Amino acid sequence: MISRRAFGKLVLGAGATAPVWFTRNAISAPKPGDELVVGIWGGIQERIVREYCEKPLVRRFGCKVSFVLGGTPERRARAYAERGRPSFDIIYLNVFESRQAVKDGVTQPPSPAVPQYAHLVDVARLGGYGVAINPITIIYNRKRGRAPITSWKDLWNPEWRGRIAWPAFPAAEGAAALLMSAKIWGGNENDIDVAFRKIRELKPFAAISSSQDELYQMFDTGVCDIAIEFGSLSLKYAETRNADLMIAKPKEGQAAALNVACITAGAPNQKLAEEWINLHLSGPCQLAYAREMYYSPTVDDVPVPAELKPKLVGSVEAAQLVDFDWTSVIHNQRAWTTRFNREIAS
Amino acid sequence: MKSWSGAVLAAPATLWLLAAFAAPLGVVVLLSLQPGSDPFVKLALSPSVEQFGAIFADPFYLSVLLKTTLLAVGVCIVTTLLGYPFALWILSLPARWRPAAIAIVLIPLLINVVVRSLGIELLLAPDGLINDALALFGAPAAKHMLYNYGAIGIGLVQVFLPLMVLSLYDVLQATSPRVLEAARCLGASRTMQFFTVQLPLSLPGLRAGLTYVFLMASTTYVSARMLGGKQAWTSGMLVWQDVLENLDAQFASAFALVMTLIAIVASLSIASGVKQLTPWLNGKPGKPWMLPRPVVIAMEAIVPVLARAGFALALLLLLLPLGLVVVQSFNDVPQAAMAGFRHFTLRWYQQLFGDRLYFDSFWVSVSLAAGTSVVTVLLATLAAFAVVRGKFPGKPAVEVFWMLPLALPQIAIGLGMLRLLQTFTAVPAFLGLLAVHVTITLPFCIGLLRASVQQLDRSLEDAAANLGAGPVRRIFWVILPCLAPGLAAAGIVALLLSFEEVTVTSFLTTARMTTLPVRIYAEATYSLEPTVFAISSLLIAMTGICLFLLCRVVPLDRVFSR
Repeated sequence: MISRRAFGKLVLGAGATAPVWFTRNAISAPKPGDELVVGIWGGIQERIVREYCEKPLVRRFGCKVSFVLGGTPERRARAYAERGRPSFDIIYLNVFESRQAVKDGVTQPPSPAVPQYAHLVDVARLGGYGVAINPITIIYNRKRGRAPITSWKDLWNPEWRGRIAWPAFPAAEGAAALLMSAKIWGGNENDIDVAFRKIRELKPFAAISSSQDELYQMFDTGVCDIAIEFGSLSLKYAETRNADLMIAKPKEGQAAALNVACITAGAPNQKLAEEWINLHLSGPCQLAYAREMYYSPTVDDVPVPAELKPKLVGSVEAAQLVDFDWTSVIHNQRAWTTRFNREIAS
Repeated sequence: MKSWSGAVLAAPATLWLLAAFAAPLGVVVLLSLQPGSDPFVKLALSPSVEQFGAIFADPFYLSVLLKTTLLAVGVCIVTTLLGYPFALWILSLPARWRPAAIAIVLIPLLINVVVRSLGIELLLAPDGLINDALALFGAPAAKHMLYNYGAIGIGLVQVFLPLMVLSLYDVLQATSPRVLEAARCLGASRTMQFFTVQLPLSLPGLRAGLTYVFLMASTTYVSARMLGGKQAWTSGMLVWQDVLENLDAQFASAFALVMTLIAIVASLSIASGVKQLTPWLNGKPGKPWMLPRPVVIAMEAIVPVLARAGFALALLLLLLPLGLVVVQSFNDVPQAAMAGFRHFTLRWYQQLFGDRLYFDSFWVSVSLAAGTSVVTVLLATLAAFAVVRGKFPGKPAVEVFWMLPLALPQIAIGLGMLRLLQTFTAVPAFLGLLAVHVTITLPFCIGLLRASVQQLDRSLEDAAANLGAGPVRRIFWVILPCLAPGLAAAGIVALLLSFEEVTVTSFLTTARMTTLPVRIYAEATYSLEPTVFAISSLLIAMTGICLFLLCRVVPLDRVFSR
């Protein structure tokens, strides 16, 4: 038997929570004229998703897709500033930013609402939907070294002194380089001093690289002979421009790096966003990335052509990539950036 | 002019800047007074000086501020040394060639700063044009010309030289030929005419040029980032990194305010220095000065050679990167940053015409620039009349306020504006961008139009009034026709500055508002293809044609002469 007082409380409680039900983010079916807003990099990535995601999505739902182009920092800063009232439905981030964005309530964790989620490899299920695996490793001019690179520790071989282009922190390559340095010299994400100390030993650097174009130009012109960079894009560069470039497979492993598609928390077009990501994880789009940029598929149901297989990371290799505690990295990002600027870059 | 009319005329520009500049500035000030680095900080009412303490206690930040200031001073000196010979060269041309010379100055302003910086990269790269030239003479290659303060300085000189040339040309052409003739009759050589007549009389123009160049050079980050390669740090790069990469708006805001303070001190120093050197502008006699004869002889021998070298360098700096842009648009290389010509191709033009995206962005840029130009000229004209002819309380303070947007780093304006636009979500994206673009271009146009209004012949208005023309007729039949060259100059400058703006726009861009510079910048953040050179080459050609057609209506040399 419920007392009158308790009944009154229940009614009051129901009244108080009713607005939540009425105002919750409705997941309605897409209708013609809806506009999906996607924040992504420009250039070839934009062209691929326009062909393999936008066209089928528009055909199926009669919707409109608008792109906000730019680098990851601009997109991420805007998404953080818009937390709770996003203008984006989907933003593409790098691996470490995507996991923190979920923790910060800026983007949603991945869910089975996207059918292809079932086929995602484990490393691509954190922080969003990993759409492309693009590991970070050492790349070098094979004619300028006496022996092939087999370990991250080879960077400390005196023969490379003064010829290293070290990646800027906190870009993905810079973060991976710092964390791999910590790992191989006995440190970790929570004990980073050793990494800074060891990297300082490598000075003077031939350059601090802050973009792939810039780095490849340095290789073209002999400014540097060794660097840390995305392996897949570097393979494309090696095939088209620099036959002497080698992409190392260090025994400690390559660093995990992924492009991650993230649905914003409170996305205005939830269903369309899920459909978009499903298209991005579908065979045609994954293979287009693989063909054009050697970005490896993140789903296990895409039949990779035999000629592409040696150039990509398979699901078994993906599981062996070195992953890090990105929460710790994000927590320390500002302090490490300041330290990097002073101790390494300056 | 009635006593209240000055305040009324000053009101539109002031209100615009209060909404589109003072409000974001207020947000930046509030953020700078918050402790910690939480990206979701709730603004606390109790202010904290933690961020400022961190800046002033850290030798690294202080050294970056010092280096950036020195870099901006260096850029000011070089643009002055190159700007004078170039402005004098334009003056020396026959009238029919002056529009073409002005076009050489204006065209680079229309090319995106990313593409212009790429042009400098192609020049300084280890396999770039300079090393190719050195190789012809058997000289060893200079492999380290890029990614240092020198490279940033060259890039900034190339970007800001047009502003200095236009500022100097503006005052140099206003110098009466009779004064020069008098100096000649008194035996002054060409060199001495310059040092004793043209240089002192052009100091107000130099003041404007130095102020523009210093303020913009000390807050830049796109060129600095591309040419400094993250090894040479500037204040703008630090603000960019803290706002976007570290999401530490509090520290970035404090740093931006320190930069603003330095910019204000520098502007006041420039103004004070020029005031000391131009006592006659305040009704005081100038101090006579004498140069020993041997010095004069030496100057007459050396200065013409240096002036010719300076002119040639300025011409090269303005045109060579543009030439490289055109050449690269036919170069069959996979990435834009690749130096050296491989094979001829039309592939980038085919890709450009097969893709509507660049043209969509181009039209967004054109409509935004046109809107900015119209609104800015309207506000600036009223403001110029308020300053020149009106008297109202707080006039000096209002004038300083109008110039402030130049002193605050544009990324900080973007940060403040982004926060505001998220609060006032009903503001359409176009209006938000227009508000910021007008804010950025307004100080330039007020400066230009203020001088134009000062030059208006009041006797013409009096004559029209005596003949019975009312205020409206006088505005449309006397004032506006006399002001037309100034209006056209301000309109062109606003159009060009808005068209190439990327710093704030990339921060505020939305799905439907991707401008051409933002598209190019977005591609540059990933991997830039030479398609950008193709569209830039088309822009160069189109600008040339537009300026040629404009010359038929209003000769460009007169547009920039008052």
